[in-house]
Amino acid sequence: MSEKPFFIGYAAVPTALRFVMGLVSALLIGGAAVLGYAIGHAQDDPGDGAFRFDYGRQTVTGVIELTPLPVMHVIEGSEQIAAGDTLMLSGAGKNGALPRAAALDGQMAQASGVLLQRGEIDMLQLRGGRNGLQAAAGDGTTPAPVDLGHWKLAGEICDGKCLAGAMRPGRGISHRACANLCIQGGIPPVFVSTQPVEGEEFLMITGPGFSPLPEAIYDAVALYISAEGQLSRHGDLLVWALEPDTIEVLP
Amino acid sequence: MTGAEIIVEAARIWLWIGAGVAVLFLGFGMAMVDEDADGAFAFRPLLVPGILLIWPLVLWRWGRLAMGSDDWAWRYGPPRAIHMAMAVGLSLAILAFLLGGALVKQSWPADSAPQQLSAPEVSE
Repeated sequence: MSEKPFFIGYAAVPTALRFVMGLVSALLIGGAAVLGYAIGHAQDDPGDGAFRFDYGRQTVTGVIELTPLPVMHVIEGSEQIAAGDTLMLSGAGKNGALPRAAALDGQMAQASGVLLQRGEIDMLQLRGGRNGLQAAAGDGTTPAPVDLGHWKLAGEICDGKCLAGAMRPGRGISHRACANLCIQGGIPPVFVSTQPVEGEEFLMITGPGFSPLPEAIYDAVALYISAEGQLSRHGDLLVWALEPDTIEVLP
Repeated sequence: MTGAEIIVEAARIWLWIGAGVAVLFLGFGMAMVDEDADGAFAFRPLLVPGILLIWPLVLWRWGRLAMGSDDWAWRYGPPRAIHMAMAVGLSLAILAFLLGGALVKQSWPADSAPQQLSAPEVSE
């Protein structure tokens, strides 16, 4: 019979193998810990956006504007939403609010749902059906958009809902497929600028001439890009009419 | 037809063929090539999802067993022979993917300042 030690898991470790096994085990465990820390440390900060369920259901009244995706200029606010705010609207999941809001363009409406908030950006996820959005009595007019000129910006195209807190992380390459599905579903797309523009870091985006977002933009979602477009202020929300043929993917 | 539609259509066709193979194999073929399965039916629905996905392998194995050309010992030889190469290769691949991902990762262009290319249009 051979004298060569043969390791079996349920017996005591042969003396000759103890050092090697201890060293290999320590290297594996330590290496896994270091690798895990390094990968985690390399990830971007997911930000502080979140569904504000702690605020409870928010019900506000205001004027609907199609940009072409719907926003509400709040006239009668709630405890957490001030009058004068401009709210982006979405449905549940990856559904936009356009089907319900299309008939209310320029009219007073009551919106009810859960607020999503991240810094200066906020969005209301509407309740289902007419409970979420319905025509309301009262007087109100859509604030006239203020033209801010033609701008070249650098940053990232995201979907407004995940960015505002529906997902963490709600931006970046790992979130690209989700962002594209949200945008295709009608969730308002948002551009995160590298530096504030007219005091704002987040801009809602549309296609050229404030048309619906063209499909050509889908390929640029979640990448760091620069692009040009016409900028305007709608209420307290900046809207950037991005021109797809000016998009450059940055290194 | 877009790329996504082609992928979905290809997957649909693949799964429908798999469904046909599942009906034939579980209905008739299995008892022909495995005498232990003859008369046993309760477990067969559990195999449907797998057959939907790997039906070409099922057809190939079914054919070899039916023709009596299967060599069971041969089947285990190649996997054993490449265990070490695969272990080293996959370990290196994981490292390569991590490093490659880090290399092609974009940098947030924090220094890129917004530029106003033209002033707002003044309405008369």
